Amino acid sequence: MRLEGRYTMNCEVAHERIVLAAYGELSDEQIHELDRHLTTCNECREEREQLQALKTLSSAYPVVEANANLVARSRMRLEDALDAIPPKRWYERWGDGVLNNFARLQAAPAAATLLLVAGMGAGSLGGYEYAQAREAHVAGRAPQTIAPMAAPIPADPTDVANISSIVQQPNSEKIEVRYNAVVPREIQGSLDDPSIRQLLMMASEDGTSPGIRDDSVGLLAAECRAGHSCNAAGIRDALMVALRYDRNAGVREKALKGLEPYVAQDVRVRDAVLEALLNDSDPHIRSEAITLLEPVEADMTVRQVLSTVATSDQNPQIRNVSRQVLRRVPEFQ
Amino acid sequence: MDGPDRAQERLQARAPEMELIREAQGGSRAAFDALVRQYEQQVLRLALHLTGSEHDAEDIYQEAFLKAFRYIGNFRFECSFYTWIYRIVTNLCLDQLRRRKTRREDQAVLVDHSGDEIDLLASVSDNRSFSNPDRELDRKVLGERIQAALGKLTPRERMVFELKHYQGLRLRTIGEMLNTTEETAKNTLFRATKKLRTQLAGLR
Repeated sequence: MRLEGRYTMNCEVAHERIVLAAYGELSDEQIHELDRHLTTCNECREEREQLQALKTLSSAYPVVEANANLVARSRMRLEDALDAIPPKRWYERWGDGVLNNFARLQAAPAAATLLLVAGMGAGSLGGYEYAQAREAHVAGRAPQTIAPMAAPIPADPTDVANISSIVQQPNSEKIEVRYNAVVPREIQGSLDDPSIRQLLMMASEDGTSPGIRDDSVGLLAAECRAGHSCNAAGIRDALMVALRYDRNAGVREKALKGLEPYVAQDVRVRDAVLEALLNDSDPHIRSEAITLLEPVEADMTVRQVLSTVATSDQNPQIRNVSRQVLRRVPEFQ
Repeated sequence: MDGPDRAQERLQARAPEMELIREAQGGSRAAFDALVRQYEQQVLRLALHLTGSEHDAEDIYQEAFLKAFRYIGNFRFECSFYTWIYRIVTNLCLDQLRRRKTRREDQAVLVDHSGDEIDLLASVSDNRSFSNPDRELDRKVLGERIQAALGKLTPRERMVFELKHYQGLRLRTIGEMLNTTEETAKNTLFRATKKLRTQLAGLR
């Protein structure tokens, strides 16, 4: 009577196991099982030899290290390509950061809820008490006893910026959660201060409040009109973004005014103003745009846009003004 | 289950790289360049062996790291950076393999002086060809035949065999990199070895 297990390996499985064994993917027990099968099965032993032969043969085409020239060439080519990519605009990076944080924040309310739920076994403030006790212990003072009524639930999900760690105490229902809170802050300074400028630029994109955007764009625009360094740190870009995307016409108008000094010298600004002329929903802004384009009236591109506007703008006054401008300036040859 | 200490240890070991990645995500070109230097040798090694061409390997290097640069903001640390980079490289390599037609007419079957087919596998099993330099089975020629046989695999089979046999990765990692399961990677490996043996044993 054969005492060997209820399970005897069939050859099809053995063939697969042979491959796995050859590549170190079997557990010790599985290897042992396979060896047992191979002692009794000729066909499978041959199969294993064949596979070994394949492995040996494959080594005739060995993996080689890339030589130094290839590495250097590749690296140089990459560096050139990377140099050609303009650095990410501050608002693009900021956008990325927001998205990353958003992804984390989405998890945070769930984690905060976990704290509340997990603690319930020991009373909903059990976790809080434990954390307090530990902190006191570490600080070398006696833990305060907290009357359950008086202690607030520490983690209101809206105050939580992110959760930095969750540790379950072994053999207990208590969980310790460390989190970072959102802290409102204030800063004062002049427009020369780079931090103030940075915050202003961030504010110009603050989706929640048109009032804040209005203030910040107004300040930035004033800077530009005054001729203060408007090149630095993408203030011009911020104004162009506000002109193109802000939903509030007042903000857009401020941005437009801020860009006025640069229409003649910066082709991107000129194009942004042309775009406003073609696409802005507010006729006042479109008409402002025409005024701004005065210094570059003779430009081919500008004339083309003016021709389009002269026939297709919804507003008759704007059509009129465009025609006048076109008539005023002889065609540039 | 790992205690918090072990987790902390692993974190420390990975910390320098994580810092680099965060800096690169923040826009630091220097940090990105440092990451490139850490992985470029491996990337080239893989691309070179898969494509057999320095020129193609260079192209893959270029595309892979440009892609990494563009999308590093999306890296959320759910897998290791190594896996993430390799995923990009293997996908590019797969595209490359698919684009190539069967350029070579070479068979994996050799014919000896009397016109009979040589069973490469049998000769290797006998260990004759490798130990005797006078044999017609020159190592360079053998290498070409292996390449030809590899070329007959489907792109995925080729990739799995490459990552398993030549690069020594675990099947589970291979599954992650190819965005599939370990089980599927296993079955692909079985198909690949079967096909290769058929090719090299002189059968068609």
